[in-house]
Amino acid sequence: MKLINLIVKVWRQENETSSGSFQTLKSGPISTDMSFLEMLDVLNEKLAKVGKEPIAFDHDCREGICGMCGAVVNGHAHGPENETTLCQLHMRHFNDGDTLVIEPFRARAFKVVKDLVVDRSALDSIIAEGGYVSVNTGGAPDGNAVPIPQDTAEQALDASACIGCGACVAACPNASAMLFVGAKVSQYALLPQGQPESARRALDMVRKMDESGFGNCGNERECEAACPKGISIRNIARLNREFIKAAIISYEK
Amino acid sequence: MKLDAKIPEGPLTEKWDRHRFNSKLVNPANKRKYDIIVVGTGLAGASAAASLAELGYNVKSFCIQDSPRRAHSIAAQGGINAAKNYQNDGDSIFRLFYDTIKGGDFRAREANVYRLAQISNNIIDQCVAQGVPFAREYGGQLANRSFGGAQVSRTFYARGQTGQQLLLGAYGALMRQVKEGKVTLYPRREMMELVVIDGSAKGIVTRNLLNGQLETYAAHAVVLATGGYGNVYFLSTNAMASNVTATWRAHKQGACFANPCFVQIHPTCIPVHGDYQSKLTLMSESLRNDGRVWVPHNADDKRDPSQIPEAERDYYLEKKYPSFGNLVPRDVASRNAKEQCDAGKGVGETGLAVYLDFAEAIQRDGESVISQKYGNLFQMYEKITGQDPMHVPMKIYPAVHYTMGGLWVDYNLMTTVPGLFALGEANFSDHGANRLGASALMQGLADGYFVIPATIAGYLAETDMDRPDTDSPEFKEAEQKTEAKITRLLSINGKRTIDDFHRELGLLMWDSCGMARNEQGLQDALKKLPGIKEEFWNNVLVPGTGEQLNQSLERAGRVADFIEFSELMVLDALDRKESCGCHLREESQTEENEALRDDKNYSYVSVWDYGGENKKPTLHKENLVFENVQLSQRSYK
Amino acid sequence: MGWIKQIITTSIGKKSVMAVTGTGLIIFLFFHLVGNSMIFLGRDMFNAYAENLHRLDFAVKVFEIGLLILFLIHILFATLLFIENLGSRPQRYAVKKDTRRTWGSKTMPYTGATILVFLVVHLINFHFTDSNLTLSELVRSVLTQPYYAALYIICLLALALHISHGIWSLCQTLGINQPKYNKLLESGARSLSIAVGAVFILIPLLALFYSNFLL
Ligand SMILES: Cc1cc2nc3c(=O)[nH]c(=O)nc-3n(C[C@H](O)[C@H](O)[C@H](O)COP(=O)(O)OP(=O)(O)OC[C@H]3O[C@@H](n4cnc5c(N)ncnc54)[C@H](O)[C@@H]3O)c2cc1C
Ligand code: HEM
Ligand code: FES
Repeated sequence: MKLINLIVKVWRQENETSSGSFQTLKSGPISTDMSFLEMLDVLNEKLAKVGKEPIAFDHDCREGICGMCGAVVNGHAHGPENETTLCQLHMRHFNDGDTLVIEPFRARAFKVVKDLVVDRSALDSIIAEGGYVSVNTGGAPDGNAVPIPQDTAEQALDASACIGCGACVAACPNASAMLFVGAKVSQYALLPQGQPESARRALDMVRKMDESGFGNCGNERECEAACPKGISIRNIARLNREFIKAAIISYEK
Repeated sequence: MKLDAKIPEGPLTEKWDRHRFNSKLVNPANKRKYDIIVVGTGLAGASAAASLAELGYNVKSFCIQDSPRRAHSIAAQGGINAAKNYQNDGDSIFRLFYDTIKGGDFRAREANVYRLAQISNNIIDQCVAQGVPFAREYGGQLANRSFGGAQVSRTFYARGQTGQQLLLGAYGALMRQVKEGKVTLYPRREMMELVVIDGSAKGIVTRNLLNGQLETYAAHAVVLATGGYGNVYFLSTNAMASNVTATWRAHKQGACFANPCFVQIHPTCIPVHGDYQSKLTLMSESLRNDGRVWVPHNADDKRDPSQIPEAERDYYLEKKYPSFGNLVPRDVASRNAKEQCDAGKGVGETGLAVYLDFAEAIQRDGESVISQKYGNLFQMYEKITGQDPMHVPMKIYPAVHYTMGGLWVDYNLMTTVPGLFALGEANFSDHGANRLGASALMQGLADGYFVIPATIAGYLAETDMDRPDTDSPEFKEAEQKTEAKITRLLSINGKRTIDDFHRELGLLMWDSCGMARNEQGLQDALKKLPGIKEEFWNNVLVPGTGEQLNQSLERAGRVADFIEFSELMVLDALDRKESCGCHLREESQTEENEALRDDKNYSYVSVWDYGGENKKPTLHKENLVFENVQLSQRSYK
Repeated sequence: MGWIKQIITTSIGKKSVMAVTGTGLIIFLFFHLVGNSMIFLGRDMFNAYAENLHRLDFAVKVFEIGLLILFLIHILFATLLFIENLGSRPQRYAVKKDTRRTWGSKTMPYTGATILVFLVVHLINFHFTDSNLTLSELVRSVLTQPYYAALYIICLLALALHISHGIWSLCQTLGINQPKYNKLLESGARSLSIAVGAVFILIPLLALFYSNFLL
């Protein structure tokens, strides 16, 4: 274990309507074994003790699976490490004297609520449009009734590994949500259970995505690089395919 | 008060069928006239809210996180059990039932557990139909793996992210009902108070975490699926927002709390490495299939593990339990690790860790085989610790993981407050004194998808259809009470931070009411707890205001409840003078230091009734009757 | 026909229009490239090619109108996308680092705009001209002027950059992405754009440095 000192430039914003600005803080000694969020905890304890308001940031599982945490650190969504959420980013990747610039995920579709906390409910509204198979509880056939090739199941899982953190949107130069939508549409496009609704799903989810204020995909691949679960833009291609199929071949409008 | 578990008559295998047949139903056209509040969107809450909405009820769904998909259930790794017997290895509903009862050390209700085993198969079918991508064999059939405490392969999984995939399935079903207009979502809301009118649960008070507004919601029934309270200990594998607040406040409104001292400690977690630590990370139990657990022979041996020769290593599990070796159940593995560390043989900077060494397996099978099996776990470990288990033995230590205790419920999952139901980890559960791996997901989904939709009808059918009114004095009173509490927290303006108190509480509970408990330690804790509470309410520092997003205030409220609740845990542990499952009373051990049950005196569920502020709670006992299994003492020698 | 409007106003719809028109433009580019390559075979071959081409007068007219429409649609949608994307992040980052975007992808709108300028100049030079020169004389007269040659070279570099992202991107947009042949696709797209750029650029280079160019 080592101790390092950092200069932290963090975005502070009172609420949704206020304008916000950067605040520069000295971290004090930080153990390199800490996670990034623990570093923020330490900073917050210090702020609280001198009667200042702690930095608000979202987090819950702190093990990289709930998708609640996230911020842009030195220009990278979830920080500079590959396939790592902010809560799993450890301070050993920084050096003594480094300056950290911490900003909230920014997009028209994600409003900043306070400091680093943003409103990502637009992602939920997209799921509501078809990110599921419409089966009621009860009456499902035996789990083995429809065989699913191993490889197909694995690919579906590659897609559904998405934790919905929104880093793809944050990293995209156009703040597009195509990787998020692509991952969900792909999961069901791959599995037999998803087939009956595939056309409707692609059309509805894409429309909702557009309505919510996300930008257009520019095939820039920044989303894939930022994704903590390593979800491939292949899923965007699959979404494009599903959408075009639905738009041109299916009866759905 | 008389506890009635409402266990249906008839043979074990027919109870659930008969019960469903005998229960009253709500006519389809009338369902839309009922409102149901579901607090929690984990596996239990999301599946319940979706299934109830599908039936036609109007559901209001609440959670703390910004999206229902982020509930703590998302973090479950290993898998979910079901008695499918796809492997043809002798599994059956009865065997799953038996394993669960036995794993729980005979402290669960037979009828409930049997129902759970029956429903387990429907869960898998349901999830597959939803498009949950379970692992498959080459031929396309569902794959299984085995888990601790069972001799059959019955665990269904999706890599190391089973909880995530199951929750996304349930969340999808929930969002479908949101789209249909049958569910209204209330994310970033914390339930602060249960509202009871004329003895029945009729609503809740919540705090909107975004703007601090207190809001009231009324319904014909309230379902709590708010998860476990492992965070009493400050450090646990639970998500940061996991809390006891919802169940504790319901308890104070009359819902009895059962077996609060039953807490499961998981043996393979990444050890604590500093005071700043906020959370412990679980490493899958499967690691113990190939890893060998050891400590240095001599206490205070600070040498690097590579410098410790074979002869000076103590493979204590293999030595002590020759037949199960490193694969003893969770509680046994955990206790032994603590024992070694208490004897000064712990390793690492803190001395609170033991080695889990893969060197032999790597030598035997080669790096590539081991990497294939555990690659992603090794990566996760390296991410956190900066060490590669391929070359340096892993360090592990037990951590609080799951709470078997919870609100007492009858066979219908109704608490002692009519109209208040508890599901998932929030109820006192079907796991008795110890939960088997991969059974929590099963129970949460059984409760939510299949049990509550059937049993809630029986209650609603006998309930007045008039919509309760949030203008009634009971709602106003509950709201004012909450407001007063918040105002008080904000006005203390003391010197110590919330985490500071939480850490102190956690440490005390870990030492006195953790892996091993004794009369002395528990009595001491009982004396110290009021002091912590007193100081908390006089010296805590909660920055910010109540009319904004204020994460400190949120934590303060939860810690305040943890402090109060801890007393109940300790009282419960004191009362249960036997050892059973995860509850080890040092006074009750066999000659070989194994847990010794006392079936004659303690074959009951401890059901605690809130006595009032600063009053002792009353203990009721639900006697457990075993008609279908033979009680036996566990042995893993 | 409401559904068509519904489709092409979605983000994927707009992107698909870009991809389809882009494909059309690239196909045209290849024909154009092959035609222009006649230059390397000498003045007579080149003039003969031009004459033969213009004998198909009607077909050429249809082709030109089609091409114009492709261009207009491509430009219209590019502008639309560009403007929409400008608004997608009202508050920019103070620090933002790129990881996987390429020079090509980053500069699409700007290389596109450069091509548009080029197009106008190019058409004025060779299409809307009433001179009586043969085609080879015309080309020579324009490209031997250093300013024109330089402009052509810069614009053709922009074109190469534009399609270096464009070819791969249109595949992705139309859903073609498979690990099995992704490597091939990417290197293919890169080599093609380099080849197209190189061959086109060779023409003004020759005009500048080879005094017998098209003589
Ligand atoms: C690391 C880890 C791995 C695990 N692995 C496995 C496994 O492999 N197999 C297995 O069977 N089990 C496993 N478990 C156990 C299992 O995950 C949990 O027991 C189970 O998911 C609990 O589900 P739940 O629905 O009851 O509650 P949770 O998922 O905890 O959900 C609680 C919900 O209630 C809400 N809530 C809580 N309090 C309030 C409040 N006051 N107001 C409003 N909303 C509130 C929360 O927002 C959340 O939505 C694991 C647990 C952990 C920690
Ligand atoms: C010979 C000329 C041209 C060719 C061959 C061409 C080709 C292409 C191709 C193949 C694409 C990729 C489509 C996709 O991503 O699916 C593309 C995109 C694009 N083109 Fe062109 N183009 C030409 C001219 C122009 C002009 C004149 C402009 C601008 C005024 C332009 C602007 C753009 C823009 C901005 C994009 C990116 C759109 C996005 O990614 O969102 N192009 N082009
Ligand atoms: S806190 Fe859950 S992913 Fe980071």
